[in-house]
Amino acid sequence: MNRIVEVNNLVVRFGDFTAVNGISFDVKEGEIFGFLGPNGAGKTTTIRTITTIQEYDSGSVKIDGHDIKTEYLEARKLIGIAQQHISLDKDLTVRQNLKHHAILHKIPRKDIDRVVKETADILELGEFMDHKVMDLSGGWKRKAAIVAAIIHNPKILLLDEPTAGLDTRSRYMLWDLVRMLNARGTTIFLTTHYIEEAESLCDRVAIINHGKLVAIGTTDELRDMIGKVAVDTTDDNGKRMVRYFETREAAKDFSATLGERMFSVRRTTLEDVFLEITGESGRKLQ
Amino acid sequence: MNVITDSFRVAWIDFMFIKRNIIVVLLTSLVTPLLYIVAFGYGFGSGATVEGFDYIAFMIPGVISISTMTSCFNNVATKVMIQRTYYQSFDELFLCSMKPTSIVLGKAWAGMVRSIISCSILYTIGLFITDDMHLTLQAVGIILVCCLTYALLGVVAGMLSNSHLTMTLFTTLVITPMSFLSGTIFSLDALPDFAQYILYALPLTHSTDCIRSAILGTEFPWISLAIIICYAVAFIIISRHVVVKGRH
Repeated sequence: MNRIVEVNNLVVRFGDFTAVNGISFDVKEGEIFGFLGPNGAGKTTTIRTITTIQEYDSGSVKIDGHDIKTEYLEARKLIGIAQQHISLDKDLTVRQNLKHHAILHKIPRKDIDRVVKETADILELGEFMDHKVMDLSGGWKRKAAIVAAIIHNPKILLLDEPTAGLDTRSRYMLWDLVRMLNARGTTIFLTTHYIEEAESLCDRVAIINHGKLVAIGTTDELRDMIGKVAVDTTDDNGKRMVRYFETREAAKDFSATLGERMFSVRRTTLEDVFLEITGESGRKLQ
Repeated sequence: MNVITDSFRVAWIDFMFIKRNIIVVLLTSLVTPLLYIVAFGYGFGSGATVEGFDYIAFMIPGVISISTMTSCFNNVATKVMIQRTYYQSFDELFLCSMKPTSIVLGKAWAGMVRSIISCSILYTIGLFITDDMHLTLQAVGIILVCCLTYALLGVVAGMLSNSHLTMTLFTTLVITPMSFLSGTIFSLDALPDFAQYILYALPLTHSTDCIRSAILGTEFPWISLAIIICYAVAFIIISRHVVVKGRH
């Protein structure tokens, strides 16, 4: 599978603070790639660097073979981004915002109305097209921002925390939207700090913490790193303790040694992977 | 040429805003200058003569000069600051492969349009009120140059301000004093020499001189025009620089 994003030893510093510290990874064409990590881990800095908005100190980034330093104009044409904050003009209607994005992306004037309508129809935005952005709910604002991001039919769509702050229904609506766009052939790169989002949506997940990439792979591959089965129990002081095992049988054998202690056997989650790999059991992801 | 074409792409959404809110745009642009004309022109200055003209004929070009600055500056600076810090839509412009100069000019055009609307109305009112004022191409040209200059100043301020508080501070300390002290509603001859030297360092003093002489038909201060153009070039260089820096 073609690699649409190639990041090699990327370093981004803000003064003395290293926000992204030598990370390397690829995103394959057609996949949904998740960037998982707590707030402040370096997710947004990475995504802003990939989209050429943020300058970087060293390393390299290529979009579909185009180096973002030397061929940034070509790279930008392939990228659509919906940022963490809704960057639409809230005083204007959804239609006007979408038309502006189409104009900015130099879509021929005669095609603009058609492209806006078609894109909005695909994502079922029709009834809200003439509403001011400020009058929309959080979920629909986000949806409108995503429509704006794909108006020029980019090869890769980058979504920075697409469901942050949304209620459950809006979140599911956006998950469906992401799956639909991916099914239509758009590669998706999303950052999130919601574990269930990464598990539910992503073909592969990279975990970033303190600016470093600590793990990368499919959900199953990541679980395999620490063991597929987890046993939750407590130690003598009542403190939570988790042990991971390759098989359910091994977990059961361990459970048998716990005597009177309470325990539960369950499937390992990405949260377990994150806590185990980073050694930050006290720092819990949402 | 691409830079200019792209700048209109950038400005499209601001033009839409003006079109959609034209009544509000007119009210906010015109009420203050009209109050100046009524309060100073017909109130305090009624019957007075300044530099050989009726006070009303002397002050209306000054009020037009104020409008070229305040209308452009307030609209551009506030809009840029909001789009940059609250909507964060500036990044999107870079992603659409817009050059910094296109972004700067695109943001300036909308302010210019607002200012041109208010200046046109004030100019028309002035032509009806006094026979001393004349409609000249030179006046139209200099008004356009001044509008562009202050719209670019607005881009600089909008890029450097991170909140309404900073913007208010800049307006209070720079724009408002300049509006009153640049010979707009009184002759600078009334001030001591040292004050005149200071005030002639301000762009609005030169704008006022140019606009007034072009409208009243007195000798045109070409040096003042050159100074305004220098300010415009400086503002475009600075605003381009801050747009590039503001990206990171």
